[in-house]
Amino acid sequence: MSPRLLLLRLLRRWHARIGFAALLFFLILAVTGLALNHGQSLGLDGRFVHAEWLARWYGIKSEPPRRVFRSGHHVLTAANGRWLLDGKISGEKLPQAVGLVELADVFVVASDTALHVYRENGELIEKVGPGALPGAPVRAIGSNARRIVLRTASGVFASADALSWRPASERSVRWSVPAELSISEQQAYEEALAPGISVEQLLLDLHSGRFAGRYGPLAVDLLALLLVTLSLTGAWLFLVPRMHRGRH
Amino acid sequence: MNRRPRRSLALLTLALGAAAAGLVRGEIYQAPDAFVAEVFGSRPAPKVLWLTQDLQAQAAAILGHSPAQLRQRYWSDSRKSVWILEEIGKEELITAGFVVVDGRIDHVRVLVYRESRGQEVRTPSFLKQFKDAKLALGDRLDREIDGIAGATLSVAAMERMARLALFFDRTSRK
Repeated sequence: MSPRLLLLRLLRRWHARIGFAALLFFLILAVTGLALNHGQSLGLDGRFVHAEWLARWYGIKSEPPRRVFRSGHHVLTAANGRWLLDGKISGEKLPQAVGLVELADVFVVASDTALHVYRENGELIEKVGPGALPGAPVRAIGSNARRIVLRTASGVFASADALSWRPASERSVRWSVPAELSISEQQAYEEALAPGISVEQLLLDLHSGRFAGRYGPLAVDLLALLLVTLSLTGAWLFLVPRMHRGRH
Repeated sequence: MNRRPRRSLALLTLALGAAAAGLVRGEIYQAPDAFVAEVFGSRPAPKVLWLTQDLQAQAAAILGHSPAQLRQRYWSDSRKSVWILEEIGKEELITAGFVVVDGRIDHVRVLVYRESRGQEVRTPSFLKQFKDAKLALGDRLDREIDGIAGATLSVAAMERMARLALFFDRTSRK
């Protein structure tokens, strides 16, 4: 057998072996790359994966919920930037809640910088930001005769609609006060309030190899070299027999 | 995963988290209430536009997603209205103020910018493109807004908010 034929056979064998061995990793690279390329339209940065094991893998310490706010019909507990409102998660990267009050057909959750006004069914009516608050930070929220009452750094204010505010007295205000969660309640809520990793971050880490720690990017570098090898051997296997046939 | 890489990943994540937390409040260029007061010379009482299902559908068509809330506050007199709107650029909300006079944008200002890149959208040279813009067919702007390299998503968010402000102004005057 000629040395050229031997070389071709050797290359073909190793081309197949390398391709098969790296198949799974190439698939991961291709799929994560495709997804990242369309991350904006897929809304990947706004989606989060919440799992205890993933948070542990990332070394993120999960904060267990410790307190709960209860009004007549609504329950709010919070941890790790997430609110669990009547058993439903209401968003990510949310500030620590200060209190919860319920009026006739709406209920309001206060954080130190904003009010979240909800319909009875949990639909967000409006997020009232710092510019629309009578004072900031908000230190407590309560209710008094169908009015929302806020205790802020600038004083106490009341409003019937969270639009216009008037200075008010603290007299006969029922302030929202948190209750401590029992250990069993903490455990029940902890899983739902686990910290999240954005899908985009997760895909980026998988694509770059950082998900596997310090040596992950080196493994991806090795895969890149394997891909270069596959391209070169593939080109060789494709071209050389044709060139040889062309000479005869 | 051994301890060291895990620790470095945790540190990286914490650093990113801390950076993100630092940016949550963002760069405040002007407080929204100060913007309203500047436009009217005083601070008028806010009015409210309730987003009915029909309005929500039309706003969603402009934004490319459902509006975040069911009521939108605004300030207006007989000719002009002011809308403080928020929209996500890439990951964080951009807060911008839009002044609409007789159905055309009079001026725009970026009030709070929370993204780590793309702050160029607050420059007067970019914002002046919106001057006198009005809604054309299909609730699109009657002109093309030139993009900014490196701020594509923020530019797109500003354009969406401009369309929404004009749409809300038209709706509020019906």
